[in-house]
Amino acid sequence: MAVPGYPPEHLLGDLGIAAEITTETTARVRTRVTPFVATPDGRVRAGVLATLVDVVGGAIAARVLAPDWLATADLSLQLVGPVLGPFVEARGSVLRRGRTTLVIEALVVAVDEDGVEPEVDGRTPDPVAWASMTFAVLPARGSEPSERLTTELPVRWGYSGGDLAVPVLEAVQVTVEDRATGRLSVPVRPYVHNSFGALQGGAIALLAEAAGAEALGAARGGDATDVVVTDLQIAYLALGKVGPVVSAARVLALGDDGRGGAVVELHDTGADDRLTTVVNVSAEPVGPRVGVGA
Amino acid sequence: MTGAHAGTGEGTDPRRHVTDYFRLERQEIPPPAGREASSAVVGRAPVDEHLRGPAGGMRTGGLLTSLDSLGGFTSGLAVLPQWIVTTSLMATVSELTHVGPLRIRADVVRKGRNSVITALDVVDEGAGDRHVAAATMTCAVLDPGDMTLEFTRPAFVAMAAPQPGAPPPDEFFSIVPGGGPVTRMVLEDRLRNPWGILHGGAVAMLADEAACRAAAGRPGAAGTRGVAAGDVVLHYLRPVRVGPVEARCTVLGTRSGRTTVRVAIHDVGSDDRMVTAGAVTVLAV
Repeated sequence: MAVPGYPPEHLLGDLGIAAEITTETTARVRTRVTPFVATPDGRVRAGVLATLVDVVGGAIAARVLAPDWLATADLSLQLVGPVLGPFVEARGSVLRRGRTTLVIEALVVAVDEDGVEPEVDGRTPDPVAWASMTFAVLPARGSEPSERLTTELPVRWGYSGGDLAVPVLEAVQVTVEDRATGRLSVPVRPYVHNSFGALQGGAIALLAEAAGAEALGAARGGDATDVVVTDLQIAYLALGKVGPVVSAARVLALGDDGRGGAVVELHDTGADDRLTTVVNVSAEPVGPRVGVGA
Repeated sequence: MTGAHAGTGEGTDPRRHVTDYFRLERQEIPPPAGREASSAVVGRAPVDEHLRGPAGGMRTGGLLTSLDSLGGFTSGLAVLPQWIVTTSLMATVSELTHVGPLRIRADVVRKGRNSVITALDVVDEGAGDRHVAAATMTCAVLDPGDMTLEFTRPAFVAMAAPQPGAPPPDEFFSIVPGGGPVTRMVLEDRLRNPWGILHGGAVAMLADEAACRAAAGRPGAAGTRGVAAGDVVLHYLRPVRVGPVEARCTVLGTRSGRTTVRVAIHDVGSDDRMVTAGAVTVLAV
């Protein structure tokens, strides 16, 4: 079914994202693992996992904060274990609901068709990732979108659309302008809109991940396929409403073990080059191929 | 003179006790004349021997304490006459071996009605300005109530004198010796900030120590000098008022020699409520 506020052709639909509210303060969101969302070593892109976390956090927050509205303030994600199932699922829960903020934690796990975590050698494998989100509470003023959303949003839903047929960065229309400086560009169009009509949080994570990988790959004398982004720390400062949104990456360090870090800034070039997002990105050298297509 | 007085009693100055332990110098950098912007603040802190961890540099918990102090100071100056309290700190650490002193720059990247976000950058002056860490910190804006905030602008806080015989951080922060997944801290009054609650840096140090203890027995740590905290995400959910404070850790997994530890910190004496949650990446060094 289509979800209010989202067009029929949308990134979340193409990712085949399905969501379920499990209690008043918990939810889970799932996507199928395909080569189009994979890293060069066959894992799932951190930006795709961040998209799942963004959706699960938003689903919980919209209900918990009703009738107030919400704005995403930050999102962090750390990759931990491999992806073993045909699906990955973000399971979110509320850590704290305050007067001005809501904090949500999520574990991303690999699951099978029935949503069950596969066992390996008689034990449940490590989670795929740990994540957290903070939402700012925007007090309701009269009849606001949040009221409509919370009454219309079902307990279980999927974003409509076709299956992703191209790599996710291609679907989002990420263009690489300069690898060394991590200058990448993405247009703000309905396909990547959030319910405010601005660049959706997951698309922001994908752009930052790609920018960090390009800059760190270039710093190692190669390209983005030489590294895998393992950590994202995203601070959302302003909406990217006009576009194109353009990234700039500053490589901080490259360790002897090949790990590196970068700070990525995103600017809305159509809105006086406004700084919209700051992202700390960590990456490691690409490892042996696992997971998808291994 | 820079100062704030919260009337928290005799003895240690709650505004300076923790920052003086780390000898953090702070210098406000006003925006260029005619430009509407918040001041930046630059801090400098030596890496004294008692602050060094197994990797040879300042322990990440200590670094986070300085980030919390400097970021909080920067955010507070931006919203005067109101003040702030830290709500989240996300740091990525690129270098665990330091010469020192460390130089930290804090810039306000967003100032809203209810919150301030600062971006922090750390370099090692003694190693040719080699990069050490980058962080983002969010603070909630609060009514300072009875607290008197007096600042001569631009604000400057000098580096404290060396403290011969100063204890290591775990002792300074009254972390109870031990090992395993649960680590305790005694809430001493001297560790309270001007609001009367546990200093955010103390919480960060507890998270560092607890995560390292939890990860110490993992594969990869054997045969090494020890373990050290790297990247950290902390959400300060509620103030710590009573104590003792307990950090409960869950090892989530190890990837490429880096162990991810979930840390949940509880105020045991305040109905055991969760006060901080986050994750720490621990490396064998």
